[in-house]
Amino acid sequence: METESIQTESRFHSDTVTKYLLMGIAAIAVSIVFFIILFIFGNSIGAITDVGLTDLLTGPRWRSSEGLYGTVPIITATLLVTAGAILFAVPIGVAAAIFISEVAPSRFKSVLKSISEVFAGIPSVIYGFFGLTVLVPLLRDTFPSHLLMGYSWLAGSILLGIMALPTIISVSEDALSAVPKSYREASMAMGATKWETTIKVVTPAAISGISAAIILGIGRAVGETMAVMMVCGNSAIVPDPIFNVFSRIRPITSTIALEMPYVVIGSTHYSALFFLALILMIMVLAISMASKIIVNRTRRKFGETENKPSLTGIIVAKLPVPLVNGFKNALVVAGLFLIAYFISLTFSNSFGAVLIGISVTVAIVASSLLWLNRLKNEGVSDRPRNPSEFIESIPVKIKAVSRNIITYALVITVVFMGASLFYDDVVAFMAGLAVAAAYVTLRSVFRRIDSRVVQKVAHTALLAVMIFAILLLVYILADIFIEGLPMITWDFLTGYPKDAGRAGGIYPAIVGTLKLIVGSMVIALPLGMITGIFLAEYAKDTPFTRTVRNSIDILNGTPSIVFGLFGMSAFVIYFGFGNSLLAGCITLGLMVLPVIIRTTEEALKAVPGELREGSMAMGATKWETTVKVVLPAAIGSVITGVILSIGRVAGETAPIMFTAVIMYQRVMSHSIFDPVMALPYQLFYLATEGMGSPAMQSAVATVLLIMVLSMFTLASVVRHYFDKRIRW
Amino acid sequence: MVMIMDNVIDIQNVNLWYGDHQALFDVSMPVQKNKVTALIGPSGCGKSTLIRSINRMNDLIDGCRVEGRMMFHGEDIYGPGTDVIKVRKKIGMIFQKPNPFPMSVRDNITYGPKIHGITDKDKLEEILEKSLREAALWEEVKDRLDKSAMSLSGGQQQRLCIARTLAVSPEVILMDEPTSALDPIATSKIEDLITELVKEYTVVIVTHNMQQAARISDYTGFMYIGEMVEFDKTDKIFQNPSKEMTDRYISGRFG
Repeated sequence: METESIQTESRFHSDTVTKYLLMGIAAIAVSIVFFIILFIFGNSIGAITDVGLTDLLTGPRWRSSEGLYGTVPIITATLLVTAGAILFAVPIGVAAAIFISEVAPSRFKSVLKSISEVFAGIPSVIYGFFGLTVLVPLLRDTFPSHLLMGYSWLAGSILLGIMALPTIISVSEDALSAVPKSYREASMAMGATKWETTIKVVTPAAISGISAAIILGIGRAVGETMAVMMVCGNSAIVPDPIFNVFSRIRPITSTIALEMPYVVIGSTHYSALFFLALILMIMVLAISMASKIIVNRTRRKFGETENKPSLTGIIVAKLPVPLVNGFKNALVVAGLFLIAYFISLTFSNSFGAVLIGISVTVAIVASSLLWLNRLKNEGVSDRPRNPSEFIESIPVKIKAVSRNIITYALVITVVFMGASLFYDDVVAFMAGLAVAAAYVTLRSVFRRIDSRVVQKVAHTALLAVMIFAILLLVYILADIFIEGLPMITWDFLTGYPKDAGRAGGIYPAIVGTLKLIVGSMVIALPLGMITGIFLAEYAKDTPFTRTVRNSIDILNGTPSIVFGLFGMSAFVIYFGFGNSLLAGCITLGLMVLPVIIRTTEEALKAVPGELREGSMAMGATKWETTVKVVLPAAIGSVITGVILSIGRVAGETAPIMFTAVIMYQRVMSHSIFDPVMALPYQLFYLATEGMGSPAMQSAVATVLLIMVLSMFTLASVVRHYFDKRIRW
Repeated sequence: MVMIMDNVIDIQNVNLWYGDHQALFDVSMPVQKNKVTALIGPSGCGKSTLIRSINRMNDLIDGCRVEGRMMFHGEDIYGPGTDVIKVRKKIGMIFQKPNPFPMSVRDNITYGPKIHGITDKDKLEEILEKSLREAALWEEVKDRLDKSAMSLSGGQQQRLCIARTLAVSPEVILMDEPTSALDPIATSKIEDLITELVKEYTVVIVTHNMQQAARISDYTGFMYIGEMVEFDKTDKIFQNPSKEMTDRYISGRFG
């Protein structure tokens, strides 16, 4: 019998062809990032040439009517509202994460985690609505002498804080749970209590992950549009004094969303708004880089390998060392200058601030150089090459003392700032001292109390925080449902709006939202799943793959308002689709693309390798193996991810504001080149401009919430169904 | 059975369940002061379960239930009035894989004393040096006390863990296969260390390595499927065991 030859018959192996096809599609993610940056940057050039970079960056006033486009109050507002949100969210979020990971009985853990997922799934316009109807009046009544209306930085920060909570909770919880069990055992085996182990071993070991969580929370807060716009009061001013949390402010995102609808396309004003978006992008990129660095550091700490560099990383690595170091130093100096500059802007004009910024920077750099020199003379250490080595070279005792000084100074300052809004400065300062003293006493008291009593107190406090968070969620949902549910009738769901949306039904908005969902999925699903398959099954660790991954990370972190601007400038204007369903679907599709890519990739990677080997060993090609064996095995998680992104599409407002929606439609059009009504935008419009329609607002909010939450329920049902069916 | 005069720990008829699954059956064993007691037996025989139940590390596992008496100086470790924290302070434990905290060498050692209320800096320094010396690690790390403990080699990490346990001055040190993750040279260092340590402390060690048990222990218990098949002086177990099953395991005919 003649045996068949094993020589290949075709020069092109079918798997190689597939691989290059998939690579081509994966490259689309990279090109999207490129085009977003191109369009945002390209459109902001006008403002840079008309106004000048210096005036844009240092101008103290933003008044489009007078042609003033100074971004200082706007950027300051973004920084302030984010800082406030983090101050609110970090203690609560980390405490809740510690509770879930370390204290809660294991059978409650998944319940608590799903509760935090529900938090994450609520659309931002719903949070804005809650802020507008509950938080703002509450603040107005609590601080009647400080707040006329309640719209304020404080309201924005609290609301953003609530929105950042789920990110902080879930990422911190993951970090805490990832701490090896052996650390806990080692600590407990020495007779430490659970609480001592948590606070002295587990939390420090997870600190990088917790920092990453906080940074991600910052990223969420910086890019948030709808909620802030609805509660911040939107005056483009720098608070006076700078820590006056009762001041109205207007962050970057709100400014773009508020002014874009009224702007002349191609004007300086139009371009200045893109410039703001550019700054927002840069901020978000810096934030995501920071979190990457931290994650890498964690891996190093646990002895794993670092992520290898992408194309840009390789280029950087090829540069001569002095150049790179020089660049790093320049970044540090620029950072110091900017911090000093922005702080001194609060009590000085911009020229004075520049002078102060320079002198502070010079002082800090000079003193640290002197310090280094002394170390060198004493032979303590060679000159450290970068900041972290520098910090390591500081003796332990000095570190401990300065840590204490910084802590007390911080406590005193924060209390002083808060109290000085109510009382005169002397009283406020005394209050600061009193709190710091109380802090010191409490700490030493706790040190003397029996460790089990401390544990009881601590665990009770954590439980209280957890209950607070849950009640908050219940309150938000109940508040909307109680008002809205009775309004929902068959006529409401199937009727057309009347009286500019104040009465009648919301049929066109429901259909519009469904159309947006279907359209965006038509675009995102094939692209996203194929890219996910490429990354999970075909991609080797090459610079190209890493660039794709980085692009996906960038897309994932890009604020939705930036997608909105990109969609408007690219699809509505450049391609001439107009304000249309098509433009909206593409924009939303691109926005959820990273989510679908990620979930597909992760789902496929979770499929054990033996399955692939089993199929390949029978002579199946890689593509056949992927499509017939791996994908079916992972389909549950993929579907879950898709449903979750549908929920996100349903609730997003900022990306469709300038690309696809109108607020009122008496006759529905079915052309993809016509605009649609959509539920989230309808809610925003009614809540901010539709006077006299409180019941309608709650009803729209209820329908939107039911739609989004049922997606979540469906996703978790699907997950459970497939979890049960497939086990390995 | 050997009659013991100076028992630090006395395990009497202990049964242990993980949920519905019974892992220990009526186990009895004495632990003598300043001696090395080794537990041997095939995987899954319950030797780790037994050693972990001595300082109640099994409390951390949901659904774990212990019956019988486990006495420490005549007091029941599982008694209703017993303070688990005091138990663990007196009876320390070394684990299979070295598990230093991701902190500096110094912070690793001073962690325990600080937990137990020692704040005096000089006292802590004293404990630091004493424990590291006792663990035969001082010379190797004295110049890098503030470097991360994760930068040490595996063998050094395990000795660091031993020093960390010594720092809370326990009476008994439980070791759960302490050398199974180490290379032969690091293993022999740990073995030498154990021989030194029993002058001051009492050691119970679980090992899958029979030669190790023969080399370093004074008493050996052979366990099989949750039962203590035989417990005696090490020489006796290895040269002239009373039970046939022990003999077959020692001579490598099963296990």
